[in-house]
Amino acid sequence: MNTTSTVPVLEARHITKTFRGFAALDDVSFALMPGEVHGLMGENGAGKSTLIKTLTGFHAPDAGELRLAGEAVTFADPRASQNAGIAAVYQEINLIPERSVAENIMLGREPRIGGLIIDRRRLNAEAADLLSRYGIHVQATAPLKSLGLGMQQMIAITRAIALGARVVILDEPTSALSGSEVDLLFALINRLRDDGVAILFVSHRLSECYALCDRLTVLRDGRHVCTETTADLPRTALVTAMLGREREAEAAGGARSEARDGPTVLATEDLSWRDRVRDVSLDIHAGEVVGLVGLLGSGRTETFKAIFGAERADAGRIMLEGTPLTRHTPAISIGHGLAFLPEDRRADGIFARLPIRENLTATTLGSLGRFGLVSRGAQRQLVDEFVEELSIKCSGPQQAISELSGGNQQKVLLARCLATRPKALLLDDPTRGIDVGAKDEVHAVIRRLAGEGMAVLVTSSEIDELLAICDRLVAINEGEIAGELDVAGRSADDVLHLLAGAAEHAPARDRA
Amino acid sequence: MAESVVSKPARAAAPQRTSREKRSVVDWLRSNSVYIAFALLVAFNLAVTPGFDNVYALRQLLFEAAPLILIALGQSLAIGTRGIDLSVGSMMALSSSVIAVAIGLGQPGAIVTAIAVTTLVGLFNGSMVTFLRVDPLISGLALLVAGRGLAKVLLGGSRVDLPSGGILGWLGMQSYFFVPVVAIIAIVIAVVVAALVRGTTFGRYTLFAGASRSAAFLAGTPVRRTLLGVYAISGLLAGLAGVFASARTGAADPNYIGVLFELDAIAAAVIGGNPLSGGRVSILGAVFGALLLQVLDATFIMNNIDYTYAQILKAGFIVAALYLQRAGH
Repeated sequence: MNTTSTVPVLEARHITKTFRGFAALDDVSFALMPGEVHGLMGENGAGKSTLIKTLTGFHAPDAGELRLAGEAVTFADPRASQNAGIAAVYQEINLIPERSVAENIMLGREPRIGGLIIDRRRLNAEAADLLSRYGIHVQATAPLKSLGLGMQQMIAITRAIALGARVVILDEPTSALSGSEVDLLFALINRLRDDGVAILFVSHRLSECYALCDRLTVLRDGRHVCTETTADLPRTALVTAMLGREREAEAAGGARSEARDGPTVLATEDLSWRDRVRDVSLDIHAGEVVGLVGLLGSGRTETFKAIFGAERADAGRIMLEGTPLTRHTPAISIGHGLAFLPEDRRADGIFARLPIRENLTATTLGSLGRFGLVSRGAQRQLVDEFVEELSIKCSGPQQAISELSGGNQQKVLLARCLATRPKALLLDDPTRGIDVGAKDEVHAVIRRLAGEGMAVLVTSSEIDELLAICDRLVAINEGEIAGELDVAGRSADDVLHLLAGAAEHAPARDRA
Repeated sequence: MAESVVSKPARAAAPQRTSREKRSVVDWLRSNSVYIAFALLVAFNLAVTPGFDNVYALRQLLFEAAPLILIALGQSLAIGTRGIDLSVGSMMALSSSVIAVAIGLGQPGAIVTAIAVTTLVGLFNGSMVTFLRVDPLISGLALLVAGRGLAKVLLGGSRVDLPSGGILGWLGMQSYFFVPVVAIIAIVIAVVVAALVRGTTFGRYTLFAGASRSAAFLAGTPVRRTLLGVYAISGLLAGLAGVFASARTGAADPNYIGVLFELDAIAAAVIGGNPLSGGRVSILGAVFGALLLQVLDATFIMNNIDYTYAQILKAGFIVAALYLQRAGH
């Protein structure tokens, strides 16, 4: 690979893209060289998807320009971008599962006899030729649906190349693949690189990016942070660039480690769920706030769901105050004194069109009245209590929850949890997408609950936040516990080291 | 609209307020469209249709409306969970056939048996939706076909006359002050269902399941039990609707009873303000939706509009009503 002597095959210059006043991309520049594998890195909301959608013609940039092999271009629509040789392969593959591999590869430009009848023999031969050139060992005549997801993806890539793609964008191609499928995919990517194709690779698995990419570009909050060759960007620097830490960590409250002297409230032992949660063992004591720290896709949300019973764990034990939870559903967990605040407030939390009153009392409804009747008075009392206690800003209990700000919606959901008087609280990114003021209030509530003896397990994408509210941090990476750290006296740097170390010692995905 | 307010802060407040007022009037019209449409249609008929103001016509209309009101209630609950119950028409027919088969138990026994059977089928429908995760559209379609098939098989495909006296005779003929017994029963049941929706945990859980299935599950509400209950209630009400229809016809007629009623029930529920996207149930709206469709039918019949054209006009009316509602979302 030689990136210095050639013109970028695709270049974005000072791209800005704004949605409803929110800058998803802010003056982002970025160049993709022929024959390189370029990793695009960043947490959720960093702007990766928007950049990809701009490159593929889904979005027109508000400012800035795209250059294709040195010449300015504009893509009116995705088709224009495709015709210019830019192909994006997503996890959901746009091929026809019922047809054969060859038909899929040659779709739309089948060799014909006399311009009418499809020449099946030539079709299969041409497809087989392409497959063997890229080292893909499948029968051209096999139906696509008989192949695994990884192989289907490779067929999609082959089709893109056959159509003349010079740039291939792979968005999270490995997240649903097994280890051996990943190896095959990487072999194909390396072959394409040797042929001079430029590959833009997006993955949350750092070890993969280091194994595959020549250069890495990091985006954060819609801005370009850096572009470095992989060798010049060690993991610690990469993680720091991805997470950022402009805000100085609030003084981490000092001597909080006595919290661990309380009795264990929630414990997991070798908890496993598919390959996303692997042998996770945790102990959370009364009055303790434990932060589960990990990058996106590290298995932190899945760990929460497995503990709460929203997903059924494959193995391991969960103990709540000494009572084992097995084959439990959320309802059963709640009955035992567990409460869970989901990460995706809109999809998994609120009932958008219903009033605050119903949203807040959803979980405790049965205990508020008798004989299956709803007691309006008891509902009202509970709502008033929590509106006051959490200072929820609303026009009244009748107001639809969707009309509240994100922070107040989150407080209503927190109140729904607290109304069950839980012993242990699971908070999956409780301050995601809420404003700074509401964040501080949520932090204060969490600390107060711990002070009252509740056991809290929390995650966040912001390290500073975890430092501010937690007593202890547990790092998780690719589903495994990778280290732990008492918060007292620590800085964000220590956490970044822990995380980077976790990524370093990632379970080796055997790559021959 | 919110966007234009944000992007043009400099503009005077007055025109915005007017447009907001205009909008709230439109919103009011839209959310009360079923009552307005009903009132307009009745007014039209009183002015134009000869014989519409006759109490006998009213009585006939209410006889016809009672079964539709019942299945529209069940439909509203199913739609409230973001589901649908396509089996109700066939369940009416099944109920009718079971009465004829079980008439040896005496009329009360036969009626109870018929309703029990359709309730069980409703429970089965709910089980397919909850445990097998079949799309309610598919499970309902299967029962629509199978239910009518079973109804025909039970009676060997023919019509069977039912006894003219007793409870069936009372349900089929009796009215007080020109209000049929069946209409009174239907209204009482509508009040009960409305109370169920407004005042019980079951009603809330129904709304939660429709508003966001995953949020309802994570909040620990009994989603499965609720869905089973909803489809069982829909089956029960369809069974009772079948009893009403049989009593009125004086016969068990699996080829005729309840045919295409599921479509009227869905139309009544949706026109009445039960959006297919779930999470909202309006029982009063469903009742008026059913009455509206019934008055519409009466309008066509009493003005001697050919049945074929009447169907087309009705379809146009339903589409227009639904469009007006959708435009709000």
